[in-house]
Amino acid sequence: MHTWEDMKQVQPLVSKMLINSFNKNRISHAYLFQGSQGTGKREISLLFAKAIFCPNRDGAEPCHQCNACKRIHSGNHPDLHWIKPDGQSIKKDQILHLQKEFTYTGLESNQKVYIVESADKMTVNAANRLLKFLEEPSKQTTAMLLTENSHAILDTIRSRCQLMAFQPLNSQGIEERLTGEGVSESNAKLLSQMTNNLSEALEIQADDWFANARKLVIQLIEVLNNKPNEALLFINHQWMPHFKEREQLQRGLDLLMFWYKDMINHELEREEAIIYQQERDRMEQMSMTLTRQNAVSGLSSILEAKRKINQNVHPTLVMEQLTLHLKR
Amino acid sequence: MKFIIQREQLMESVQNVMKAISSRTTIPILTGMKLEAGEQGVKLTGSDSDISIESFIPAEEDGIVYVEQIEPGSIVLQAKYFPDIVRKLPQNTVEIETDDHRNVTIRSGSAEFHLNGQDAEEYPQLPQLHAEDSFELPIDLLKNLIRQTVFAVSTSETRPILTGVNVKIEDGILQFTATDSHRLASRKLPLENQETEISFNHVVIPGKSLTELNKILADSEQTIEISVTDNQILFRTKNLYFLSRLLDGNYPETSRLIPDESKTVVTIDAKELLQSIDRASLLARENRNNVVRLITKGGEQIEINGNSPEVGNVVEEVAAESIEGEELKISFSAKYMMDALKAVGSDQVKVEFTGAMRPFLIRAIDNDQVLQLILPVRTY
Repeated sequence: MHTWEDMKQVQPLVSKMLINSFNKNRISHAYLFQGSQGTGKREISLLFAKAIFCPNRDGAEPCHQCNACKRIHSGNHPDLHWIKPDGQSIKKDQILHLQKEFTYTGLESNQKVYIVESADKMTVNAANRLLKFLEEPSKQTTAMLLTENSHAILDTIRSRCQLMAFQPLNSQGIEERLTGEGVSESNAKLLSQMTNNLSEALEIQADDWFANARKLVIQLIEVLNNKPNEALLFINHQWMPHFKEREQLQRGLDLLMFWYKDMINHELEREEAIIYQQERDRMEQMSMTLTRQNAVSGLSSILEAKRKINQNVHPTLVMEQLTLHLKR
Repeated sequence: MKFIIQREQLMESVQNVMKAISSRTTIPILTGMKLEAGEQGVKLTGSDSDISIESFIPAEEDGIVYVEQIEPGSIVLQAKYFPDIVRKLPQNTVEIETDDHRNVTIRSGSAEFHLNGQDAEEYPQLPQLHAEDSFELPIDLLKNLIRQTVFAVSTSETRPILTGVNVKIEDGILQFTATDSHRLASRKLPLENQETEISFNHVVIPGKSLTELNKILADSEQTIEISVTDNQILFRTKNLYFLSRLLDGNYPETSRLIPDESKTVVTIDAKELLQSIDRASLLARENRNNVVRLITKGGEQIEINGNSPEVGNVVEEVAAESIEGEELKISFSAKYMMDALKAVGSDQVKVEFTGAMRPFLIRAIDNDQVLQLILPVRTY
């Protein structure tokens, strides 16, 4: 169980703001926690919920011992509602359940808290239903929306929440720890970009799949650059068989995105920021033909492709469209 | 925890509390059933967070021993399996025992079940209600109150507060009110022989909970005790506790809606009117909102007609006891009218109109405890 002391290490600013809101008794009716994966959004929202419900609260610090704290920890507190995506998105029904819940009085107290995980995954319908509750909050409810991408949330929702920006974790720290674990420097750099979690990074590193994925990304770039007419063939014969699952494809697109980022960094001569350190020569060579504008438009096509994958568009079609965009 | 219990009693209690347990709940612990053993007996609890039902099995009642060898304690058991296990046990007595690791052993005759229990601490704590701010009603009267009002609650979620029944006590008069903004049903009841002077007016009980309560209670002359707290209401019979959460918000002020004077008063046999409207609605049903029309005629007659241009029309004349006041043509929903006539529960009813565009009232002829109000439909 985390305490505010622990969280201060990870998110000094956000923790301080939340603790102060307790001390001054000015808890907002809705918060939007935004920050990338692994930055402690869940932990802080749980801690905040505990602080709200705990009867033995000392300042902002819940006791972690009492019945309420324990039940929040195990997900059994009847007045805390935790909504997370059911499959690809948060459905209207889930928000309907919330809606009903908020017309009722609480089960144990009149204090209610709802936490919506991956709030950006709400369907438009669901988001609009939630909006009504953010507009007319009843006295003792607190909402926490967690998201990795606050811009994917309806403006009307965002403007009604207090925004809490979670700082990204220091990727250099992870990189150093990875090299400490015996990971090669270039891989460490790549892994630290992909995840904020040390054990997850080591797991990826140990997987053969990842090494091959990396090779394929470089090959794709090579093909796009030298033999653009064969790109579609390459996608069908080599790329798709390797990136079978949606999640794998997302990873592959991340790797591809780093390359375009590198191209921009290379152009700006920010050499230390380059992720594919070993591929310097290739970058040098490509920068002759690829302008910065091309790289930027490449990045936006990749982001678009990632979004489409999330929305259940057929993966092969997405990749084909992407290569057509990229080879121009 | 340990006890030996009569299977029949246990089965009955399990069946009662199962009515509150739903498999579709967001809180994992609520898929379970809580068993709590104390010196006095065994208590079972089930809840879907909207309603909670507690059933108590006394250790001894009228000299008959139901529960023996009680060692106090509590546990939460999976409600998916426990009832079936109890039902199919071979002997008439059941022994239930838990160890420190929340393993539950259920023994009956030579059959022995081992179930994994959950920590009872995790179960929601239902409020402790005090007997001081409560009042009593005979069960059949309560069932009547529910039946006469609950049908009028709104089914649409646009105004959530209207999905409940407003309960208030003022000057020793208990009143149930339900409305969906097109019709209103209300029933008053003077509370007699109550020692406590309580009054409240902000309590709104979800219609669903009341319907459920009505199903669970058997018709009987026994009394039921009702207590109210900030967020829950408790109905308590001897061994059964029924708790419901309340609806949050302000119930609209309804007393102003009820007209205090009328222009046309029709006194009529409820059953005859009901049947004739039922007939008229046969054709009107095709019509989008099931509207029938009522026209007063001379000679104590009223005409009911239903018209659906594509299908045909129906006209019927009904003899009224008396018609006083102005002549009138009015249209209204046949369904609402039929619901209201059924709920009044009297042979003769008095229908008070205040013009074709104003709401009208239906009351029993001999008392004004039951009141039904319906808004007419505008037709051309």
